[in-house]
Amino acid sequence: MDKEIIKKIKGIVGRQRVLESFEERLCYSYDGTVQRGIPALVVFPENTQEVAEIVKLANEKEFPIFPRGAGTGLSGGSVPQDRGIALVLTRMNKIKEISKEDLLAVVEPGVITEVFHQAVEKEGLFYPPDPASLKTSTLGGNVAENAGGPRAFKYGVTKDYVLGLEVVTPQGDIMRTGGRTVKNVTGYDLTRLIVGSEGTLGIITEITLRLLPKPQAKQTALAIYDKMENAAQTVTAIICEGIIPATLELMDQTTIHCVENYLNMGLPLDAEAVLLIEVDGSPGQVVEEMKLVKVACEKNGCRQVQVAAEATERDRLWKARRAVSSAIVQLKPTKISEDATVPRSKIPEMVRRLKAISTKYNLYLPVFGHAGDGNLHPNIIADKRDHEEMERVEKAVAELFQAALDLGGTLSGEHGIGLMKKTYLVWETGDVGINYMKAIKNAVDPKGILNPGKMF
Amino acid sequence: MMNRCSRCGACQAYCPLYQETGLEPFVARGKVELLDLLQDSKLQWNDKLAEIFSTCLLCGNCGDNCPNKVKADLLVREGRRDLVVARGLPIIKRTVFNHFLKKDGRLGMMAKLFYLYQHSGLQQVIRKSRVLEKLPGNLDLKEKILPNLSSREFRKMVPKVIKTENSKLRVGYFTGCMTNYVYPQTGFSVLKVLKANKVEVVIPEQGCCGIPALASGDYETVRELARKNLASFNSLSLDYIVTDCASCLGTWLEYPELWQENGVNLLVEKIMDISTFLVKILQIELPNPVDLGLIIYHDPCHLKRVPGGRENPRALLKQITGNTRFVEMKDADRCCGSAGSFHITHYQLSQKVVQAKVKTLESRQAQYLATGCPACMMQLSHAFSEAGLPTKVVHTMELVAKAY
Ligand SMILES: Cc1cc2nc3c(=O)[nH]c(=O)nc-3n(C[C@H](O)[C@H](O)[C@H](O)COP(=O)(O)OP(=O)(O)OC[C@H]3O[C@@H](n4cnc5c(N)ncnc54)[C@H](O)[C@@H]3O)c2cc1C
Ligand code: SF4
Ligand code: SF4
Repeated sequence: MDKEIIKKIKGIVGRQRVLESFEERLCYSYDGTVQRGIPALVVFPENTQEVAEIVKLANEKEFPIFPRGAGTGLSGGSVPQDRGIALVLTRMNKIKEISKEDLLAVVEPGVITEVFHQAVEKEGLFYPPDPASLKTSTLGGNVAENAGGPRAFKYGVTKDYVLGLEVVTPQGDIMRTGGRTVKNVTGYDLTRLIVGSEGTLGIITEITLRLLPKPQAKQTALAIYDKMENAAQTVTAIICEGIIPATLELMDQTTIHCVENYLNMGLPLDAEAVLLIEVDGSPGQVVEEMKLVKVACEKNGCRQVQVAAEATERDRLWKARRAVSSAIVQLKPTKISEDATVPRSKIPEMVRRLKAISTKYNLYLPVFGHAGDGNLHPNIIADKRDHEEMERVEKAVAELFQAALDLGGTLSGEHGIGLMKKTYLVWETGDVGINYMKAIKNAVDPKGILNPGKMF
Repeated sequence: MMNRCSRCGACQAYCPLYQETGLEPFVARGKVELLDLLQDSKLQWNDKLAEIFSTCLLCGNCGDNCPNKVKADLLVREGRRDLVVARGLPIIKRTVFNHFLKKDGRLGMMAKLFYLYQHSGLQQVIRKSRVLEKLPGNLDLKEKILPNLSSREFRKMVPKVIKTENSKLRVGYFTGCMTNYVYPQTGFSVLKVLKANKVEVVIPEQGCCGIPALASGDYETVRELARKNLASFNSLSLDYIVTDCASCLGTWLEYPELWQENGVNLLVEKIMDISTFLVKILQIELPNPVDLGLIIYHDPCHLKRVPGGRENPRALLKQITGNTRFVEMKDADRCCGSAGSFHITHYQLSQKVVQAKVKTLESRQAQYLATGCPACMMQLSHAFSEAGLPTKVVHTMELVAKAY
């Protein structure tokens, strides 16, 4: 990178807030995927003004900016393209306000999701979005990817909680969208446009988030099935009872084996599927709903339902679910996490198709995930050093996307497009859709400064 | 093992250095990426990489919480070893290891360094060998961190064999350098408690366990030291070997992995932390009540990972009766940032890491903080005195001995 530019950037943020060496820059060349791209400079701004000045400079000198939170993304979204700067927002990590009266919070983008959870829960409040990466991911990254999590079925995803934003536009202006009210129809819904824009339409520098009162009680159960079909039917049956569990997670047999091997917690190895079900609400409602859930499970050919009597038991059940992503790499080291999502009613069919793909390409394809919202997480487990296998993986991924789309679903439920899925985007949006998006991008970012090469 | 790292980033939440700096090169994920590139010859060792790899506490907290069981602390150490092979040790470490640890294996690096610093012309040596450049800034503070040396070595103050009447067991005592040179009161406490419990103690000829060299990747020196220590303890007939230093224990337990020679008894079944010996083998009961007030405990990284290493010291402290109350401290098992010579070579960062402990203590005015590793004692007592906290930092055994 040009010495003059580096000097100017140091002038904006201070020399301490810049990493220049090749070795340090390498540590910002990745995210949670196998994608790589080395930035020419790593910059840590501390406030909106600094961000805006850097973006202005980037427009003047024409170098790209790759916004970055914690770098836990699963689509290559924050991976720089061997040039430009990685703009790391983790130092902007203040929780500016938590308001009980307005049921909202105002935060900077670098606040870690779990830190935020703890802060609001201390006030008796609740912020539902709970991506599995919440111990490290940033709220800015969550907004930029529109992250979801197990609680999404009942409570929705990040976009359902973003009331307003402060955004530095791709040309370096500071813009406010939305506000502090749940209702707001003033002009285009720019908040929604920015949410999930993966750092291509603006840099999020402040977020106003809607909160809920914290549910008073919850109950958790594990239901064991001999047949995958039956587990899938149960999901539909529970919903037909009018119950929306806070969590409804499915694990298939391969996953069960891996978890059991990893934790030795006594999961049945001959079961084809298990469901982890959690209901929350007032104490009375929780007991009532759990009863109905149990009936629904039993009616649909469940072998056994274990209801967690106390917190330690609940933790044990959750431990199984949380262990999944680590447990499955026992099979092989490389994990290709997909998050294709289908309408709920199509889950049984999607599971069938996934099995067929797994057999066809002779690949490990454990299926687990958020059955409540159709967001299965088919994970292909392979070895990136085995090129022949990786070719099969690529074909399997394409087929898997096709299956999801055939069933009226989507390529990505929560991880985003980034680099990983951009060749497939057109399958879902069609040319018209992509062109519309490109038109927006070109209008606000004519020089292609923000996160170029991503999305399309 | 490296292959298992999925770059998920979970280690950010557990790495004390990442928590303080927010910098990816200091967290396990960044280091694994660099090691991957080194392994594929896409990178060569250089000064920058040496600096990055020197910036790790080897606390293992990342590995304990890594979903894919990547032990970055071991990888970093392997990296340091590779670095030593590729470029040799930095001059200061070379001098210390060769002259102090190896040739005169009975001397602890820190002790010797600062014994010399205090008593000889080392100041000049240090200036000449450009150590000052390696220890940027705050030299006056860094000096303060080092406790005064004991006027006499512990091992010279006590007999080699301490018999008791009707002794039940015979144990060897590996004192470690720090107890020997800096904290003899720990050693006296250990002897007092063992004697009261009718255990015969032998303190044979011994040297440094090797941890400073191990942490720096100088495996050759560790092997030499290990060979001497094993020969000395193997020449005796002992029921058990005890140590009061978590770091020494950790190193002993690794001897097998560093060892290629056959036929040497590595004694890993016999060696244990003194707290494990008292709780599991002797199952002691403390005889007298004592008034110690509020006490808390800090888990040394090297102790918390051995079986019973968390429970046994606490079991001892909880047993103390009288006007004494044990309270669990928040994040008791978070690394204090001492990490061998890290607190000298990376003084400021190390001080940032220890601030978490200082904060806990500010809200909870304990009389004593007990721990099981002299390196932690040194770090914590410096931090507490800098912060003006009244809490006294002691070895667990010092409190236990008060009940006798
Ligand atoms: C083990 C694991 C589990 C996961 N589980 C889930 C899950 O359950 N649900 C889910 O939805 N995701 C999940 N993810 C994916 C990932 O954690 C989320 O996408 C998360 O929101 C990314 O946050 P981050 O701070 O790491 O962002 P990064 O990865 O750094 O960036 C992600 C994208 O956001 C952009 N960006 C970041 N900050 C800003 C900002 N302030 N302004 C503008 N753009 C910005 C980047 O340019 C990039 O395009 C998981 C990832 C891992 C590794
Ligand atoms: S070391 Fe472990 S926790 Fe850290 S990125 Fe790799 S797999 Fe994740
Ligand atoms: S061993 Fe400790 S300091 Fe080193 S990377 Fe792991 S957590 Fe961080």
